[in-house]
Amino acid sequence: MSHSPAAAASGRPEIDGAVFNPYAKDFIRDPHPAWQRLIRDFPLVWHKDLQMWLVNSHALCDEVLKDSRFTPNFRVWELAPPPKAEADKTDFDLAYEKGFFAVSTKDHLRLRRLTLPAFSRPVMAKIEAKIRDLVVECFDALGGAGRFDVYEAIASKLPVRAISRMVGVPTDREEFFHEFAVNIIKATRINISAREREAAVELTKPGFAYFKEQIAQRRTLPHPGEDFLGSLVGASDNGERLDDYEILSVVFALITAGSDTATDLHTFAIHGLLSNLKQYELLKRQPQLMENAIIELLRYGSFGKIPFFRFASEDIDFHGQTIRRGQAVGVNISCAWNDPAKYPDWNQLDLQRRLDGNLVFGAGAHFCIGTYLVRVQGGLMLSEFIRRYPEAELLDGTGELDYDYRHHNARRINRLVVRTNRVSLQQAA
Amino acid sequence: MKKWICIICGHVYDEAKGMPESGIAPGTAFADLPEDWVCPECGSPKESFEPQDE
Repeated sequence: MSHSPAAAASGRPEIDGAVFNPYAKDFIRDPHPAWQRLIRDFPLVWHKDLQMWLVNSHALCDEVLKDSRFTPNFRVWELAPPPKAEADKTDFDLAYEKGFFAVSTKDHLRLRRLTLPAFSRPVMAKIEAKIRDLVVECFDALGGAGRFDVYEAIASKLPVRAISRMVGVPTDREEFFHEFAVNIIKATRINISAREREAAVELTKPGFAYFKEQIAQRRTLPHPGEDFLGSLVGASDNGERLDDYEILSVVFALITAGSDTATDLHTFAIHGLLSNLKQYELLKRQPQLMENAIIELLRYGSFGKIPFFRFASEDIDFHGQTIRRGQAVGVNISCAWNDPAKYPDWNQLDLQRRLDGNLVFGAGAHFCIGTYLVRVQGGLMLSEFIRRYPEAELLDGTGELDYDYRHHNARRINRLVVRTNRVSLQQAA
Repeated sequence: MKKWICIICGHVYDEAKGMPESGIAPGTAFADLPEDWVCPECGSPKESFEPQDE
């Protein structure tokens, strides 16, 4: 079924699910035909089925992300549930209101200032040793396996363990922590029903109770601890400290950004490298490329299927269209990473690519706070993979690739089998 | 010569070094950067920067 842009009575360009459907299996397996059409024909368009504006080109995504009139605050959405009475607010509501997405620009800068030390490059370098132990544990558990599923062995375990260790969650509570993370993310997804969002909020209650208890305990100690939670409890700006809900909001920002999305980093990074063996060889010869490689592998993998949500905080005239206050704007960032205007060879994996002005970690005030954690964790995992399996290849050339088509946010690879070829090395020796 | 840190992403602008690859000579004070200059890492505006404590 083909569709040409249907201009509504208002004159705005419109599309529907026939042009872009992020839930369709074909799209999840190969999003590029749809994305290239969006970039070329519909850089800014109203999606009738998703009931949001879509911004698809690199230049327009960059502009929206840096314009504070497009807010990530879910409460601004024209279809958001009505405000609750104070007595009816849950821990989720209270933490969200104090969080990065909902506070004023001035308070947002204050939160970022107080939390920057906990996420900075020097601090991430210090926790590198702790994450390295987790990486080695994951690979040691494979023993001398001739093949393994990257998703089962690494991607589904390492990110949530790393985040758990950062915030001080015991090993035996990791599954509980992972469930908390998934429900935090679902609680403000506009692409699921209100009922599902409310159910997700209910399911966050045990997680909030746990962290409130942890924070209370840390506040009684002479020193709140050297870990991430300790650094948030102890953070001070001219004598001013973070209150409990501010700390909770940062914890859940870390969880949402660091566990669910980092899962896809691991599968897509290995899939990208083993699908481009010359680039794999290059990284082996030049390990100093690792940080740039991580960013390029994220760009090339483009595993996000649902755009980032923003909401117009006022009526905005934007490139010939009027975006009304409260309307949702989908910043189609994964699409934008493949814009030929920014990257003429977008479909090539190039670990030496100049990535100035890239949007892989977003842009502007809400630039990914975990960017250095991602680089450290991804780099450690890939370094260990390369060290152990320098001759690895995708099983049968495809890795028996499969996806979780029902994932709420990503083109989630849930099966990627690699052949380690360790035996061939042993025989050669 | 001071260093300035972006509180959004942690990028440091060192006045002593400038950014010669972007046409900003070593020794260029932060105050003398154009008003529309943005953080090269995250794209945040100048107001997101603060002097870095040594």
